Amino acid sequence: MKPDDKTLNAYLDGELDAPASLELERELAQNPALRASYERMRQLSAAVREKAEYYPSPTHHKLAPAERKRWIWLAPAFAFVLIVGFGLGVFLAQPTEEELLGNEMIASHVRATLSGRLIDVASSDQHTVKPWLSARLPFSPMVADLSQEGYTLAGARLDYIGAQAVATLVYHRRQHVIDVFVWPTPSEAPKSAYARDGFNVEHFARNGMRYWIVSDLNRNELDDFTQLLASR
Amino acid sequence: MLPYADAAYNLARWLTRNDHDAEDVMQEAMLRAYKFYPGLRGEARPWLLAIVRNACWTWLEKNRPGELAIAEEPEADTPGPDVLLARELDRRALNEAIATLPVPFRETLILRELEDLSYKQIAQIAEVPIGTVMSRLARARRMLAEKLSPTTAAPRLRLHK
Repeated sequence: MKPDDKTLNAYLDGELDAPASLELERELAQNPALRASYERMRQLSAAVREKAEYYPSPTHHKLAPAERKRWIWLAPAFAFVLIVGFGLGVFLAQPTEEELLGNEMIASHVRATLSGRLIDVASSDQHTVKPWLSARLPFSPMVADLSQEGYTLAGARLDYIGAQAVATLVYHRRQHVIDVFVWPTPSEAPKSAYARDGFNVEHFARNGMRYWIVSDLNRNELDDFTQLLASR
Repeated sequence: MLPYADAAYNLARWLTRNDHDAEDVMQEAMLRAYKFYPGLRGEARPWLLAIVRNACWTWLEKNRPGELAIAEEPEADTPGPDVLLARELDRRALNEAIATLPVPFRETLILRELEDLSYKQIAQIAEVPIGTVMSRLARARRMLAEKLSPTTAAPRLRLHK
């Protein structure tokens, strides 16, 4: 039987199993025409392998280059957002100058309460307290008498807040202590309030003085107190 | 750098027959490769070539549907006419002859001769039975021989001798 074209091709490609190969080889040995055919086929295959163009990739293909490209321009944008976001976060997390000041005053209030060193000059008389402060400070703070309203003046002490010496007026309301920190400022500021660590903090600035009020008194009463102070 | 990028590009280039379209196909093939990469089992080269081959067919169906039609012929039993010896064959004529083979034959020949893949691997890439790979390869070589035969391809050359 004459082997067909496919068998010859398979033999050339090494895809023929052993028995079929042996049979074909016997046939090739006996049949010069078949041998010539096979030789032509072999020559052609060799020519293709030797002379057909092999086109190497002209570009450096990466897996999913399109996606990579999209990411490439997204990367700086992403980095930018990250940096801005981080900066903003740091900026927002940064306590403001007011908060820092407030914290100093809360600390002072707590320290004074803990040590019992609340008052340097003990007097309920504003006319005693005010000269005492004036004599020790480069300014003369207003010392309001609010005893009529239920806030008794207990005295005053000197303190050091925000890198300057300040006057601290101490008022009592029942068992609560109210510290009023006073120092000069060129600007005016409306009343504002916040709470921290269980202390209420209020502050305002008027008539060239800045007032910070720190107390464990409840917000409503402290508001009243601040209002009274601000109206004097 | 993608492994087997040259093999992938070579196949795309032979099936589309120009660099621009080959690049087009490669872009699509790389996307697919990226998408299906987690599912890769076995050898990477036939796997990648299968993806490129499919991307080529998708591209050809869309852009040159005429090229994919296979004119089925009754199988000839002759291995084809005489060809010149390998070293005497003109490089350009050979490349042109391969390029004019219909796509299914061209891809089978390229995968066999240039990538040296087995019939089984080619069958998996082209998604046809092994028997079809055998007949396509036999026919591809026969057609090539016919195109390159001195008696049919260059009769005028003989006149000048």
